[in-house]
Order: sequence, then C-alpha cells, then structure tokens
Amino acid sequence: MNETRKVIAIEVLRYRPELDNKPFFQTYQVPFTEEMSVLQGLLYIKDELDSTLSFRWSCRMAICGSCGAMIDGVPKLGCHTFLRDYYPNKVRVEPLAHFPIERDLVVGADDFIGKLERIKPYIVPKEPRTLAEGEYLQTPAQLERILQFSSCINCMLCYAACPQYGLDPAFIGPGVLALLHRYNADSRDAARAERMELVNAEEGVWSCTAVGYCSEVCPKGVDPANAVNQNKTTSAVDYFVNLVRPKGAGR
Amino acid sequence: MHVFKSDVAIVGAGGAGLRAAIAVAEADPSLTVALISKVYPMRSHTVAAEGGSAGVVQAHDSLQHHFDDTVSGGDWLCEQDAVDYFVAHCTEEMVQLEHWGCPWSRKDDGHVDIRAFGGMKIERTWFAADKTGFHMLHTLFQTSIKYPSIKRFDEYFCCDLIVEDGRCQGVLAIGIGTGEFTLIHAKAVIIATGGVGRVFRQNTNGGIVTGDGMALAYRYGVPLRDMEFIQYHPTCLPGSGLLITEACRGEGGIMVNKDGRRYLQDYGLGPADPWPRKKAMELGPRDRLCQAFWHEEQSGRTIATAQGQAVHLDLRHLGEKKLHERLPQICEMAEAFLGVDPVYAPIPVRPAVHYTMGGIQVDIKTASPLPGLYAAGECSSIGIHGANRLGSNSLAELCVFGKVAGSEAARFARSTAAGNSTTIERHADAARQRAMNLVNRSKGSERIAVLRNEMALSMERGCGIYRNGTDMQATCDKIDELKLRYRNVEVGDKSSVWNTEWLLAIELGYLLDVAQAIAYSALNRKESRGAHQRLDGFDQRDDANYLKHSLAHYADAGPPRIDYGPVAITRSQPGTRAYGAAGEQAERDRKHGEAIDE
Amino acid sequence: MSARRPYMRPMDGWWRRNPFFIRYMIREATAVLVVAYATVLLFGVIRLAQGESAYDAWLASLRSPWSLAFHIVLLANFVYHTWSWFQIMPKTMPMIVIRGKRLQPAVITAAGLLAAAVASVGLLLLTLGIGS
Repeated sequence: MNETRKVIAIEVLRYRPELDNKPFFQTYQVPFTEEMSVLQGLLYIKDELDSTLSFRWSCRMAICGSCGAMIDGVPKLGCHTFLRDYYPNKVRVEPLAHFPIERDLVVGADDFIGKLERIKPYIVPKEPRTLAEGEYLQTPAQLERILQFSSCINCMLCYAACPQYGLDPAFIGPGVLALLHRYNADSRDAARAERMELVNAEEGVWSCTAVGYCSEVCPKGVDPANAVNQNKTTSAVDYFVNLVRPKGAGR
Repeated sequence: MHVFKSDVAIVGAGGAGLRAAIAVAEADPSLTVALISKVYPMRSHTVAAEGGSAGVVQAHDSLQHHFDDTVSGGDWLCEQDAVDYFVAHCTEEMVQLEHWGCPWSRKDDGHVDIRAFGGMKIERTWFAADKTGFHMLHTLFQTSIKYPSIKRFDEYFCCDLIVEDGRCQGVLAIGIGTGEFTLIHAKAVIIATGGVGRVFRQNTNGGIVTGDGMALAYRYGVPLRDMEFIQYHPTCLPGSGLLITEACRGEGGIMVNKDGRRYLQDYGLGPADPWPRKKAMELGPRDRLCQAFWHEEQSGRTIATAQGQAVHLDLRHLGEKKLHERLPQICEMAEAFLGVDPVYAPIPVRPAVHYTMGGIQVDIKTASPLPGLYAAGECSSIGIHGANRLGSNSLAELCVFGKVAGSEAARFARSTAAGNSTTIERHADAARQRAMNLVNRSKGSERIAVLRNEMALSMERGCGIYRNGTDMQATCDKIDELKLRYRNVEVGDKSSVWNTEWLLAIELGYLLDVAQAIAYSALNRKESRGAHQRLDGFDQRDDANYLKHSLAHYADAGPPRIDYGPVAITRSQPGTRAYGAAGEQAERDRKHGEAIDE
Repeated sequence: MSARRPYMRPMDGWWRRNPFFIRYMIREATAVLVVAYATVLLFGVIRLAQGESAYDAWLASLRSPWSLAFHIVLLANFVYHTWSWFQIMPKTMPMIVIRGKRLQPAVITAAGLLAAAVASVGLLLLTLGIGS
C-alpha cells in the first residue's frame, strides 16, 4: 500500500518529571489514513518518531477506559476520536484536565480510584439467597433503572469536564456518584442508607452546580449529571425525613 | 528495593485474577492477597468480551449436552475430566455473579435470559446486553473491594517470578509510576495474565495481551501446552481487528460473500434454512467459519474494502429496535470505525486472532508442575478448550477456575512455611539487574517496533488459519532470528517514571518466547485438528499419532523442545465433528443407536 | 524518595477555555439580573404601601427611556434564564417510564417551556384586562 498519505500535525503536551520543570508542547508530523484514530497517531509517534512518549491505552474500542485525553481542549477517548475530523488543522493532545500530570499524557488516577472504593460499590443483599436457589428475580423494567448507570467505563472524562472537581478535588465527582446511584437504584441492594451519608455530604451531590458538561463528554451515555442531580432531591427528602424521625430509630 | 510479604500473590487482575482473589479472601480472610496488575483492573482485556458466558439452565438442556458440545467443539483434544468439572460449575458461578450484582439481561418473568451461541446445541449463554465481559469484570472488581485482605498493586509490572528451592515463592514487580522494584513474597502464586494474541498482526486483543505470565512460567521450566491452537474469530472489523460479537449471529445475523450468497452452506454447515438454527450455518464453530472465509478469499469471492478483504455480516433483518436493545455496542462501533449503520447496511468483517486455546500446563486443580505456581484463565491450559474453543466458555472458565485457583492457592499457602529470605532476595536482585540491563544498555541496534512488526507479520503468514510446513518453518526461523536480534534491542528512554518504552521491551521478550513456542508446536503437529489446519498433505485429523497434547519446553539458547502428553478421554470417544444437516443426521443416528441398545 | 513529581495545572480562566463553560457562566449570571428585577418589584411593593402618589411616581419612573431599555435587557435575560432552566430540569428528575417507554428529556423541556409560555401570556392578558 503505497498511496501518498496525508500528514497531520499532532501537538502533544509533554512532561518528564526527571527532566522538565514544567510541561511543554512538542509537535509531530504524522502520516495518516481515513480510519486512523488519535490513539493510532500517538502509537505511530511512539513507534516511529519518539519512543519516549508515554500514554495509557489498551482495548482500542472505547471499553477499557484507558486512553482519555484533552483533544483540542475537549475530554475524549483517543481510540474513538479520528484524525480525519481535525485535518488539515493540527490536533492538540493534552492529559485529562483537573488531574495531576505524572508523565506526558499519564495523569494520577489515585484520587478517582480512592473515591470509587469509598462508596461501597457492591451489592449488600436485601434478602439472603443461596446459590442453589438461583438468581434473584429482576424484571427488565428494574434492570432498565440501573443499566445506563452501570455502563461507566471509569475513563474519567467526566472529571476532566467538571469545573467543580477542578476547583475542589474533594468533590466525589460525577462518575463515582453515578456508580453510587447505580447501586442505590438496584432492586437487589439494601445499603442505600449508608451510601446516602456520602451523597448528603458537602463533597457529595451538593458540590455540583449542574454545569452538565460531564454528561456531554461521557462516551457511554451514562449521564452522570442526571445521577447526581436527581439525588439532590433524594438528599433533601432524606434530610427532612431524618429531622422528623426520632433519633435512634432503625433504617 | 521495596518488599511486601503476602500469602498468595496473583499476577493479573482480569476476570480470573479477581475471582481467584475473592476466593482466597472468602476461604480465609486472614491470608494476605497481593493482587498485582500492570493496568488498573477494569482495563484488563476481560472488559472487551462481548457475547456471553455459558451455564446450563434450561430444563431440556443438561451437563452432558454442554460436555458433548465442548468436547466435540475441541475436536477431542480436551481433558474430559476437566470439562466435566467445568460444566458442572458454570451455572453456579453465573448465579454467584448475579448475586454480586452483575446486570444480566432478563426475561419478562425476571429470570436470567439466555441466547444461542456458536457450536452449542441448546441455548445456555448468559449475557448482559452485548457487553458481558465488561459487566462481569466490573462486578468482580467492585465486589473485590469488599475484602480488606486483598491488597492491590495497581500498575505494577511483573518482570520475574521468584523460584527457589524448587518452588515459586513470589514475584518481582516494577512500579510503573516510579520505576522502582517491589519484591512480593508469596507462598503461592497464581498467574492470570491472559492470552498472547498480540504476537499476531491483526487481532481483537488490547495492547496489554502479551503473554507475560505464560513466558515467565515457561522460562522456569513449566511446559506451554497446545500453543499451536490459536483461535481466529470469524467476525472482526477489517484493519483494526476489533471484535464484532458472535451474539450478532446468535440473534440471527447472516454472513454473505461478494455475490450475496450465504457461503457457509458450501462448507458442510448447511442447509441455509430454516434460520436461525443451532450448530448450523453462522452458528457453527469458529474454526470452521474462519476456514470457510479463507477458502472464499482464495476463490476471489470476498469483498474488497480499504482495509483488506472481507465478507458481509448482515443484521438489517433484525430491525432497529432489536439491534439497539440487544447489540447496541456493535451498532456504535460499526458507525464510529467504519461509518456503517447496521440498521441499514451490512458490516464488513473478516477473521482476526482472538483467543489462545493453549497456555501454561496445569492439572484439574489449576496447579502447574512447579509447586506453588497456579494458573487460571486464558493464560492456562487446563484442557477444557482442546483444539478449538466454543464461544461463551471462556468467560465461564475465568470464574470456575479462578475460584479453584484461589481455593487451591489458599490451601497451599496455609500449609507452607515461608522461604529463605536471603536466597529469595538474592534471586530478586539478579532479576532486577536483568531488567535494568535492558534500559542501561548504551546504544542497542534494534528498534522495538521493527522487531515486533516483523514477528507479527511472520506469525500471520506462518501460523494463519491454514498452514503448511514451508511457511511454518520460515516463521520458526524468523522468530529464532528475532530472538537473537532482541539481545541488542534499544531502549532510548532512560527515565524511571512511566518509562513505557522499557516495559514494551520486556513485553517484546515475552512475546518472542511465546511466539517461538507457538510456531514450533505448530510445525511439529503433522495433522489437522480444530484450529490447526494444514494444506500440505496433513489435512486430516490423525488420532492414531496425534490424539495428544503438544508440550513446548523452554530452552535457554535455541528453539523449544516439543514433546507430547496424553489426553484424558473418559466418556466421549473421538468422533466426527458434524454441524448443520450432517450434525442433525449424526444426532439422529446416535439416538437410533441408543434406542437399539435399549 | 521516588522520582515522581506530579504537576498540577492552574484553574485560572477555566471558563474562558470552552464555549460550553461560557454558556454556563452566562446561565449563572442571569440569576443576578433576576435578583435585580426582584429588587425593582420590591421597590414597587414598598411604594404601593406608601400610598397612591408614591406608587404613581414609581410607575412613572418605570416609563423613562433608561428604564425601558433596562426592562428590554431584563426580558431577554428572563427568556434565556427560563430556557436554560428547563434545559437542565430533566437532569434533576429520575427516570420516568410511561407505558414501557422512557420519557425523553426533550419532552420534559418542551413541556416546561410550553407551561412557562402559557403562564406568561395568561398573566399578560390578565393584567391587561385589569388595566382596561
């Protein structure tokens, strides 16, 4: 295949902690074909032009959540964003906003993972059931209530989109709150009350000001803005119910 | 060097690794589990599996049927006792996942829904839309957070096993974020690092599927079994090789060539109608479908696309509603990567490498011949897939044998004393030195990308869907040459923090070792069986000489030694793999035979 | 001590970097003018309490050219405020399923805008009716 390829300029924000005081831009000329993604452009750079460029990637099909980056200032998955849509302009690729840069396009994800672990992201069963008794019954309508929110691939684009998270990293954030809602809304789960403590906290839903950009950028249609904002009502109701309920009463 | 003491160390946090970790934690919460993964667990390639996971549920289905489908699908190269255990535990594991929150697709009455899948006589494939692996992996990862005894080492790259006193006593890992080494002591080690599809050019696999654990076990004398059996998945996007799930065909999708003909009827899988029909046409086993494509391509009946030859997977007749409900991810992928909307146009597809049937030799308890070393999942060869894997058996395997590995490793760890710290640390130091040599070497002459591409191209040529002695020999020679050239590989990046070039160089070493095992195993199997098909005079199955497993033994300098091991045949004697009308006739004959016996 | 040295980028000027954020800031800013108008109306109520001549004087002041210009700006502000309010409203509501189909956000937004329009026209006719 020797057709003359078009060449696009990919400008990448570099940062090597052992060499650089601060990040800087480096531009590469990358030959590309119609179906090439930005990720494939980065792989070309690493293979052929500059082996020191570091970035996360794996599945190439927008399901593992590794390759998130700011592409022309918008949080996107590199494997799912195509060079043809930017040509003949240059493409600017930077690490996800609101996260510390560890190296080149790699950001520190510890905060996100820590938050995910805090919300009890697992089923605490409403009623016991042995394996021999088979599956809990769940109607398609009940499944519908959780399916969208369980589609989160943990790509963190919503955190890069959320200015409240950028201004105050204590905010639990859109993706994790969507996962929290997924468990609260699961017909099989019984831990809603415990999770509400996190929802009701300052760093829970009340840090959200309904900017809505998180849902705009989500590649899987999870709609975290909806998960967070519908829980503001739930949180308010919860507050008043707890005011009225005598202290020490059961769940 | 950092040091961590664990009871059980698990390398790989995909479906099998996570399931094993949970099993250890449940068996004995006082045991410390070190769960080591070079990526965050939810990035593991289990996440990309789509179609479903098998488990017998229907009243008219049975373990015997699942057993028969699996053993015949594997062209009788399966360890039948392992298959027996497997089919008997699939359903229980799928129910366990459901209890842990896995959002299985449901029937109207609230029970889990199941669908038809290739090579299976009766529907038994549980599914979660067309993202089953994704949902299973996230369920397992999120559930694992419940157990405080599981200590995760996220983004730690395992660069060596610690083998001293004739047993495996831990691993050495590089913290990717710092470039620093951590020695993880363990009384038992479970390898769950997945397959090795990245040795081939076109594949469905993610970048991380590089055979790390296979290579490590292999280098320490554990045989790699049945490596020549590489599964090509018949429906992948041309160019990228991205997977288009078998579930498309389970829902009724058809495959046509350039002339609009459902060509599979010409390859013993017909007749074409009625459709859908289990174990016929597009629901035949994967190896037969890929072989049919190869013949169609040879005969010039495939469709030329910008990314190569393809056939058409036509889903239009399923209708928009069903497509968006059952196969949403497929619709999205076809649109994004090829600009094709499956509601209105067929999807171009072709075979690409998908799964590694073979792997680290283990017994029915997932124990390798090296004491203290276990393996589960795609990296292992426990013998349930034989020469060809049926779709939806792999996701189930992760859970069934992930659990066994965890239980067995826990048992071993409880009954084993800690090893000699001094010898262990000395071993770790030497391993660290070897890893550092790669990056400290000044001015190597070979580039990683060049070696990798030459390997991938050669493997595609020599170990493709159809093979012959000449091409396989050429590939063996090429891999031998690449291994020599690898000694001079250049790592230009000398940094410590996130030095991914260094890790790619180590991975290339793993890839080359396993590629060599694949190529030599293939060359030496002088028959055609399952996914290993030859056109050079050895085009039939030869049970007399080759009803046995290939075993590749690592040699320090030079090609692997290939010898053979017996196959455990209990109930099912080798027969003809018959699908379509021939399969139905064979079934009628069998029933007739049984009736006469009564 | 490892060689890690994470770098945190500053948030200064964050909202200027993306048209979505600029629109968000405008949306939030409309609340300021809502408060401004509420103050105007509050003045009207106070003047009403002070008697007919005070109230008439207040009404007259509203007819000045500056006041008219200000009210046109306020009207535009309120229209955008209302529109953006109903745009975001579906996000605050849980999933509603009617006869097996999910209620689409666009339907909720349209219903809200329609209700606002009907109420506005209704109120206008009412006040015109009282005035005549």
